[in-house]
Amino acid sequence: MAETVADPFFKGNTGRNTRGILRLSILVLIAAAAIASRLFSVIRFESIIHEFDPWFNFRATKYLVSNGFYDFWDWFDDRTWHPLGRVTGGTLYPGLMVTSGAIYHALRALTIPVDIRNICVLLAPGFSGLTAFATYLFTNEMSTSPSAGLLAAAFMGIAPGYISRSVAGSYDNEAIAIFLLVFTFYLWIKAVKLGSAMWGALCALFYGYMVSAWGGYVFITNLIPLHVFVLVCMGRFSPRLYVSYCTWYALGTLASMQIPFVGFLPIRSSEHMSALGVFGLLQLVGFVEFVRSGVPSKQFGTLLRGFVLLVFGISFGGLVLLTVSGVIAPWTGRFYSLWDTGYAKIHIPIIASVSEHQPTAWPAYFFDLNLLIWLFPAGVYLCFQKLADEQVFVVVYSILASYFSGVMVRLMLTLTPIVCVAAALAVSSLLDTYLLLKSPEYPGDSATEAGSNGTPAPSKKAAKQDGLRSMRQPLVGIYTTFSKMSVVSALTSYLLIFVLHCTWVTSNAYSSPSVVLASRMPDGSQHIIDDYREAYQWLRQNTAEDAKIMSWWDYGYQIGGMADRPTLVDNNTWNNTHIATVGKAMSSREEVSYPIMRQHEVDYVLVVFGGLLGYSGDDINKFLWMVRIAEGIWPDEVKERDFFTDRGEYRVDEGATETMKNSLMYKMSYYNYCTLFPPGQCQDRVRGVKLPDVGPTLNTVEEAFTSENWIIRIFKVKDLDNAGRDLASAASFERGNKKKKTIKKRGPKVLRVE
Amino acid sequence: MHFLKGLLLSLLPAAALAAKKPVVDKFSQFHTKALASTPLKLDDSVYAKLTAAPRNYSVVVLLTAMEARFGCALCREFQPEWDLLSSSWTKGDKKGDSRLVFGTLDFVDGKNTFQSLGLQTAPVLLFFQPTVGPHAIPDNGPIRYDFTSGPQSAEQVHSWIARYLPDRPHPQVNRPINWVRGIAITTTILATITFLSVAWPYMVPIIQNRNVWAAISLIAILLFTTGHMFNHIRKVPYVTGDGRGGVSYFAGGFSNQNGLETQILAAIYGLLSFATISLALKVPRITDPKTQQVAVIVWSGVIFVMYSFLLSVFRMKNGGYPFWLPPFF
Amino acid sequence: MRPLAIATAVLSFASAAVCVEKGNLTKPLTSKLILPSTFRPAQNFKNANLVHIINLEKSYPKESINVVIENVASTPQDEYFIPFTSQQMATIGGLEVKDRKNPESPLFEVEAFIIYLPLTGTNRCYSDTQFYRIHLPEPLAPKAQQTLGISFYYLSALNPLPATIAQADKQYLVYTLSAYCQSAYDTLKQKTEVKFPSTTVPEYTIVPGTKGSPESPQKQGSKFTYGSYGEVPAGAVEPVKVRYEFTKPLIHVSELERDIEVSHWGGNIAFEERYIMTNRAANLSKQFSRVEWASQTYYNPPSTAVKELRFPLRVGSLEPYFTDVIGNVSTSRFRSNRREANLEIKPRYPVFGGWNYPFRVGWNADLKKYLRKLSGGEGYVLNVPFLEGPKQPEGIEYEHIELRVILPEGAENVQYSTTVPLVSASTSLHRTFMDTTGRTALTLTAINIVDDLRDRELIVTYDYPLLAGFRKPLVIFVTILSLFAAAWGIGSLDVTIKNKRS
Repeated sequence: MAETVADPFFKGNTGRNTRGILRLSILVLIAAAAIASRLFSVIRFESIIHEFDPWFNFRATKYLVSNGFYDFWDWFDDRTWHPLGRVTGGTLYPGLMVTSGAIYHALRALTIPVDIRNICVLLAPGFSGLTAFATYLFTNEMSTSPSAGLLAAAFMGIAPGYISRSVAGSYDNEAIAIFLLVFTFYLWIKAVKLGSAMWGALCALFYGYMVSAWGGYVFITNLIPLHVFVLVCMGRFSPRLYVSYCTWYALGTLASMQIPFVGFLPIRSSEHMSALGVFGLLQLVGFVEFVRSGVPSKQFGTLLRGFVLLVFGISFGGLVLLTVSGVIAPWTGRFYSLWDTGYAKIHIPIIASVSEHQPTAWPAYFFDLNLLIWLFPAGVYLCFQKLADEQVFVVVYSILASYFSGVMVRLMLTLTPIVCVAAALAVSSLLDTYLLLKSPEYPGDSATEAGSNGTPAPSKKAAKQDGLRSMRQPLVGIYTTFSKMSVVSALTSYLLIFVLHCTWVTSNAYSSPSVVLASRMPDGSQHIIDDYREAYQWLRQNTAEDAKIMSWWDYGYQIGGMADRPTLVDNNTWNNTHIATVGKAMSSREEVSYPIMRQHEVDYVLVVFGGLLGYSGDDINKFLWMVRIAEGIWPDEVKERDFFTDRGEYRVDEGATETMKNSLMYKMSYYNYCTLFPPGQCQDRVRGVKLPDVGPTLNTVEEAFTSENWIIRIFKVKDLDNAGRDLASAASFERGNKKKKTIKKRGPKVLRVE
Repeated sequence: MHFLKGLLLSLLPAAALAAKKPVVDKFSQFHTKALASTPLKLDDSVYAKLTAAPRNYSVVVLLTAMEARFGCALCREFQPEWDLLSSSWTKGDKKGDSRLVFGTLDFVDGKNTFQSLGLQTAPVLLFFQPTVGPHAIPDNGPIRYDFTSGPQSAEQVHSWIARYLPDRPHPQVNRPINWVRGIAITTTILATITFLSVAWPYMVPIIQNRNVWAAISLIAILLFTTGHMFNHIRKVPYVTGDGRGGVSYFAGGFSNQNGLETQILAAIYGLLSFATISLALKVPRITDPKTQQVAVIVWSGVIFVMYSFLLSVFRMKNGGYPFWLPPFF
Repeated sequence: MRPLAIATAVLSFASAAVCVEKGNLTKPLTSKLILPSTFRPAQNFKNANLVHIINLEKSYPKESINVVIENVASTPQDEYFIPFTSQQMATIGGLEVKDRKNPESPLFEVEAFIIYLPLTGTNRCYSDTQFYRIHLPEPLAPKAQQTLGISFYYLSALNPLPATIAQADKQYLVYTLSAYCQSAYDTLKQKTEVKFPSTTVPEYTIVPGTKGSPESPQKQGSKFTYGSYGEVPAGAVEPVKVRYEFTKPLIHVSELERDIEVSHWGGNIAFEERYIMTNRAANLSKQFSRVEWASQTYYNPPSTAVKELRFPLRVGSLEPYFTDVIGNVSTSRFRSNRREANLEIKPRYPVFGGWNYPFRVGWNADLKKYLRKLSGGEGYVLNVPFLEGPKQPEGIEYEHIELRVILPEGAENVQYSTTVPLVSASTSLHRTFMDTTGRTALTLTAINIVDDLRDRELIVTYDYPLLAGFRKPLVIFVTILSLFAAAWGIGSLDVTIKNKRS
């Protein structure tokens, strides 16, 4: 038999080493797979930073690398938010930049000539490998089965829900934050299990790192206290819990307060109050337990319990009072909109306008997690088997994370790890049951059988009190090889489908850097549409070093990163009024916009126009948000209503309202566009409508550059007229007063609500 | 009346003096009416009278269509807010310093007005500035307030009105405290407390029962992971009819879903995970080989079919999805 | 201001030239000799016959002077002077003198002279006439004659007029020359020929005929001839201004950094070139119009915009890349087969007059094609082209070229030779890829080069001991070994805090 041959490798000390090496190599392979599956975009296009926010992080990293840490720390950036500027050093999460900066310097110390861009591009895949490893550790804390951890690591490595934010080039905070999240949780579980201050301190350390890396740290800040609170409510208070939580809270809070952007929030804002409250609660409970251990009397105990409840209630009331009185800042809009889901849509259009803040429909879950999504509840149920502290953590995490992910698409990211863990628990328990080589003998003496099966049958009475209904009977095992084979083979095929699914999703959905667009030529070869960089490079090379560029805020970071020119607004939407100003300039008549642009010293205006190529993500489609945001500040001057026809349609052809036709954005988008087409065939390929042959005329700005496929159009703001005329008359004078013709209407285009 | 007013106006020098008299009366009489019941219920004639120039007072008129047959949900949602606003404003200045009159014109009473204004939509809020007097505004065309962004609260409209009434009192909107609700809440709280204190010993086993908690958490997870929050926020329909009068259970489009759809999905997920659980926990505890064999086959079959069905549903939602399992293609 | 600029340049050259080690086969153009203002070249020669040819077919004027010189002194002479204005001196490039009679004779040795005016206050400034001194290989006997072929270029000497034109307009350039060739000696007979790119020369100076000689210029197609003229005294000037059509870009590379990295282990030689390119052509009078440009591209007319650059690389060049500061530029094509290896790159946008486009290109090649091991010993000979820039019909001018040849770590005794006039050379250390000591890097600097010198070769010889080749593997091996040892040591420590009894 094969066993005898292989025996020495699987038994005793050698066996342990063999398994260790096997496990190590498997983990390494998983990490490799995780990294490799994220390189689609690098292979298809090039090593390039992806869409919007990463460009800012990249720019900040370059600043850090070139100017050193302390300059970075108090970096005042006067090239964004002109003329306000931005205290960048104090308003960002430095963790990401510092990490890649450290890696850069380390490699340089080894005199390896690596470009900082490549580090930034490959940071996310690299950390995804670490995340897989952290998941492995975390899961091993959850179950005794050796396979669970490896499965969880594998799932985590290739789950699209995580890949979506960590492909090569998406150099965003999430790139390292998810690793930190999982690893912090692992350390927390470790600390709770051992009740050791060291692990608690480590947990706090990585919590601090997490705080420096991502705003999502609030999730940890609320999840760990919730875990503790639940445990206390379950009457599971123990010195272990006390030690680990107090260490974590004290050190972690101090660590988090070192980040300028966070500062005193941990004691001043409501997001952090739960942690503080639980901290106080633990003190009370600890005190009570201590006294109770000293004083055995029953009534005294109840008295103490009442006292605890009283103090807790009072302090809670105090917190509420402080919040109302404003000493403690109420919830920030973004966070508050998680609870009151209608809030953002009414009050914070900027938040509502971002696509990743929309709620999640079920296909998104299946798309991102495939079969894990239905293994997930099973895994959570398994956690109820032996409901130790760590399993409680899994349950709490699952419920909380699934709620959040349901409210906001981007929070799918925080759900993914626990889904992978739970699913791995389920699958591993299946495999462990059905992959046992030795089957139980047929009943008759099943009493001894149960014993020999490793798990002694729990006495029925014990099982009745606690434990799950499904576990009342003693464990027997699987008799026939057929059933083993069928289940295992089915499971394997599902897992294979899962792998295929992940690859497919990653390559089709999550691997395009929105800076470079790819299209297929008739002969099937790939054609790269590189208009963004064409225009940005033109700006960078052929305009004045400090020429102010006005564009919608989506492109602020890219202009800062690629064109290296000052912008009015960018994706760090800290100043709603300023954004609304740009929105107003874009959406009002030239006579209104020109003074605004002069006041902000705007030299060039950049608009994105997809009409020629059929590129749907252009400014005309985002236009309504500009209008809404502007209307929020100037309700009398900008009215969303005026951009809809009487029939409530949002149109750009002849049927468009006068306000629409006269708005600067409309004019700039369609300026000179129809000269491309033979008369009467001028068409907008995004909106799919025919446009009037006579395009709009511009008086206060002039076309400076238009990219090859017209995606980016740059206009130069004219200087004041030398002869002192107003620009309109000057321009019409030069034009020699052409007359416009009117053309009959075409079919309307009905407004689609967001 | 109109003729008379025109005459008065035509007497240029005396116009101001002469015109004032009836106008003042007009406002005071409307104001007294308003004190009795506000907003004033208007019809065509009253509307014309109220909004006719010259006026040295401001008018806010809500043109609405309350009747069910018009199916104007927005009107009905906004009406209480509107009443609250006008009543609190009118109470706010009994002397009528702000010289503002609130009026409501329902479509049934004011068809002509609606036609003359060429309104297709309701509700519409019209604001008439005074044409004579201290706060006179030259052009007396009404300012229009559109309900583009859904139902408005009284405060929002209040601030809007206040913008057009500078240096005049703006009585705040004060919502009446809902005593009934408060009492109800307190009683329920007390009741629950007493109930708990009485029923505690019986409750404890239930509270401490793992199965209950497991069930609760599983249900919660299933709800959330099938997009219940999406339904809640977007207020999606429960089912949508397909063109041919039937019912389509699954809404088209990747980021779109029906209420029923999510419940079906929840059922599928639940069944799948229950099958998994039984395979993992129940089956190995079956002592009789035959039954165990059957159970294994049944449960694996359930998983297989359900998963294949799930994939097919997803292919329905997402066109280009390449993977599938038999029997559902 | 120009003279001061020269002064600083001179000083820097002087300082740079110090650090060249001895025994180089070609000496870089060392510091220009400095003479008092009273200096006048002795009238030892006279130009028996002189033909001055000015070629304007490219985007830079290329002049060549064929002169028959005769020694009128009583003693043999070996120093012939050519005068230039300090303006010309700053932009002149590639001045070469050879004997017309036997073409394969080596180039004559030339030196630039700086002439100072007497000290005025603290800062000395230069006289307007500077000289190049030609050192004849063997002294010219009295009454003997010799034919010199002198050729040189001026950079950024052509200027568009009008300075701004519309996108589709024709461009006209203006060039100022002298009908009498500049000379430090009397000239008995001379004529000046101007070659234009086309026959459309709307404006040119007409020199009235003098005693017998007809009025200049005579035209034959696109060639104008001034003269011939009789005896002309030294230093006489007859300014002539010509304005002709040239609807092509004036490509001007203000800075070219060219790195050549030799790797013996990889058997690979890597080239990388970083250009700072700008177009000196007439600027756009109105803003750039994409519509017009798109409609033009169908029948592409001559334009002042740079659309495409072609690099004819050595056959066998591999994996080229074309990037700029924000990443890869997808609009490049590489045709490589047994006969040719053409890299054709398009800038992201058409580079019109006054626009800049800095970019970088690079490629690899098999080292065997470039490197030969000297028989016996550890010596190697590297033979690479000094300049491999794009080859454009309108020509390209390089203001400043810095060429770095990075030899493998431990290479020593580096010598080089090239026919391109250099201004400085130095060797330094370049640390990369886990070097311990660093690689020997030879840095050569040249100014005012044009693409005519494209195929001049650079020959570098150096010694590379065998041991040096094995340094890196050993270092890495030892490092990793020590790492393992350290890890094992730390791992075997026990840092737990517990009382040992339990």
